[in-house]
Amino acid sequence: MIFNSLPFLFFISSVLLVFYAIPHRFRWVLMLFASYFFYGFWKIEYLSLISISTIIDYSSSRIIYESKKRLTRQLALAISLMTNLGLLFFFKYSNWFLSDLVDVFNLSLVDSANQWRSGLNIILPVGISFYTFQTISYTLDVYSSKIKPEKNIFKFALFVSYFPQLVAGPIERYSRLRNQLFTPIKLSGDNITFGLRLMLYGFFIKMCVADNIAPIVDQIFDQQQNASSAQLFSGMLLFGIQIFSDFHGYSLIAIGTARLFGVKLIDNFNSPYSATSIRDFWNRWHISLSTWFRDYLFIPLGGSRVNHLRLASNILIVFIISGIWHGANWTFVVWGAVHGTAYLAFQWSGLNKSKSLIGWVLTMIIVFLAWVFFRSDNIQSALDYIIRMSEFTEGSLQLVWNPIIASFIGLFLISDFIWQNGNIHSWLETKPSTWRWLIYAFLLYSILAHAGTVSHPFIYFQF
Amino acid sequence: MLVVMNWFYEKTSFKEYAYDNADQYFQINKVKNCELVYTSASSNFSQKTTEDKGKLSQYIGQFYPSLAMEAFNIPATHVGTHYKLLQSIPKENHVQTVICAVNLRSFGADWRHSELETALNKSLVMSPNRPVLLNRLLVSLNAYDNKSQEERAEQRMAEWSELTLPYEAPMNSVSNWCAVEKWGDWSNPKRQLADQFIKQYAFVVDDNNQRIKDLDKIVELAAERNWNLVLSILPENINKADSLVGAKLINLMYSNSEWIKHRYEHLDHVKVLNNIAILSSQHFTDKDFPTEHYDEQGRKLIASYVAFALRKHHSKAFASPAWSTNLNFK
Repeated sequence: MIFNSLPFLFFISSVLLVFYAIPHRFRWVLMLFASYFFYGFWKIEYLSLISISTIIDYSSSRIIYESKKRLTRQLALAISLMTNLGLLFFFKYSNWFLSDLVDVFNLSLVDSANQWRSGLNIILPVGISFYTFQTISYTLDVYSSKIKPEKNIFKFALFVSYFPQLVAGPIERYSRLRNQLFTPIKLSGDNITFGLRLMLYGFFIKMCVADNIAPIVDQIFDQQQNASSAQLFSGMLLFGIQIFSDFHGYSLIAIGTARLFGVKLIDNFNSPYSATSIRDFWNRWHISLSTWFRDYLFIPLGGSRVNHLRLASNILIVFIISGIWHGANWTFVVWGAVHGTAYLAFQWSGLNKSKSLIGWVLTMIIVFLAWVFFRSDNIQSALDYIIRMSEFTEGSLQLVWNPIIASFIGLFLISDFIWQNGNIHSWLETKPSTWRWLIYAFLLYSILAHAGTVSHPFIYFQF
Repeated sequence: MLVVMNWFYEKTSFKEYAYDNADQYFQINKVKNCELVYTSASSNFSQKTTEDKGKLSQYIGQFYPSLAMEAFNIPATHVGTHYKLLQSIPKENHVQTVICAVNLRSFGADWRHSELETALNKSLVMSPNRPVLLNRLLVSLNAYDNKSQEERAEQRMAEWSELTLPYEAPMNSVSNWCAVEKWGDWSNPKRQLADQFIKQYAFVVDDNNQRIKDLDKIVELAAERNWNLVLSILPENINKADSLVGAKLINLMYSNSEWIKHRYEHLDHVKVLNNIAILSSQHFTDKDFPTEHYDEQGRKLIASYVAFALRKHHSKAFASPAWSTNLNFK
């Protein structure tokens, strides 16, 4: 079930009431059932996948921890990685892989495999990219002796399936969640206030900003050949705002929901459009994913402690794989490569370390141009979009623009800039009670009266 | 706080939203003050060139000049939509008789799983029986049947291949029947049209049909509200169906319409008119495709049949308009 739906509102209310009504020792069991119910609500078949991942990773980690033989530990790690990456490859990438192989090599065997796969009508299970990465981090941390494995398979299952962050992150580490999920907590006004504030604001930016922008962006990108350069430029900017508000909104709802139960999740965004370099951008955007790639890919490749050539290739590898993680399309590869190349360019020019206006302008140009690849169906249409945008052409597309939506966007961007290294909760704490209630009323009224009406799932659900 | 917000929304943004997305909301307020209510899809009017563009409901109304007649006629709707609209009429109302146009095609898979359903369901969320702000929130939360186009297409395809028709192969399912190359390959327009007619009319109505369940609800609602109910089964282009596909298809059309009639005709407050075959091809303005759009004569003929059926309940108000003397009844 998606967050902005009636079933979710009923679900969270019910779970919250029961959570604080039952003794602590049963709470994690309730959350496990609730998480499996939440995930199974999408499609009951998904539960088998998450169960397989859970059982394999639990078993592998136990073997890794208890075995004295290096080969056994490596084998167990390999099984865990192959299972998780194998699931990811099969559901997310095999169609792309086989289709491209058919195009390039025209092999009958590959063509047969492609037809077989297409005939299975396989749908990408929601959240698979997130929870497989979460469990991979667990297994790798056990292997490198950073953590001890969980003894109770059901407690481990809760870590894997914890519903507030299951389908689109933030990707959490076991070391952060372990104590929080199983530590007794009392009903706390602070937790409830924090949680509700973040959820309210998260729903506002998802439903009033992202969902209202979405139809306009769709129209521009779907009919780009009819749009003027100005409209294409607006479409590029609007998509950048849409994806930020959409994903940031989701993350805030997830963080707020978890806080209702006393669990603190990692912040996923920190005013990314204030970044003054590509490195700064990735310290602010989808933080849980970028730190994952840093810890589990970049550092094992050698990190920064290698020669320049190796460092450059490491950075490109990480960014390209990060692009591929987002989706099975060459556009994501290009998106990742653009960011990787820009990162290197900023590094060599020294802009990565400076906080300058020029750095900000260049960063925004690169980030927003790269969004065109991220949003487009293929590389050709992304290139056509950018070329047409730069040609100052007229167009015939009729766009309907609403001043209320424009004001929402403005409020969102200004708030995001003001609340760097903070959030709505810390900001509201400094305001008098009357102001706080006015802001609650404004946000609530905006959601009730002006939320987008065209059904748009959270963008990151497709990853 | 919520009450104030609702009031504020009703006074400011609501009307613009409703006019753009759910204008039937305003029709309901007009309908409640009328004695006669007519519900239909686009069959009520014609956008093609005819001399008189009067609506079918207006022609009915001309037989009862002393009674107020109002119509819900939203394109692509069906009795399921009409039930929700009728249900929205406040309990305090002047309605005496409801006339429901029953479109046989709407009982088939193509219409029941139409891609237009999501948009229709979305607009119907704006019910006048709830606070407007709540309605608006329900729309944002997708609290309606909002299946995607792909999901609806899957439902159609599944029904066309799985549901059994009462004939030997290849006419035992819609998919098999469409595959029969009576008119040659797909480049022949007749092949394409025949395919359309089969998909629209080749089905068997039974208790499990969603439209039958909707009609049951309308019948029950009419009984609760003390309304007289006329179910007017609309004419279909039988001649065209016969020439393109043949007797087996039109037999299904006849048997389905009679099945519907027999289900309700014994009820005291219900009158069922099976007008499926009262019009020849010439009265259909869409000459090729299976639709229920009629020329002026066609609409007047149908209106006359309905008007005569209403005499039972409104005999004192009945008055034949001048044009009714020139009609050729079958």
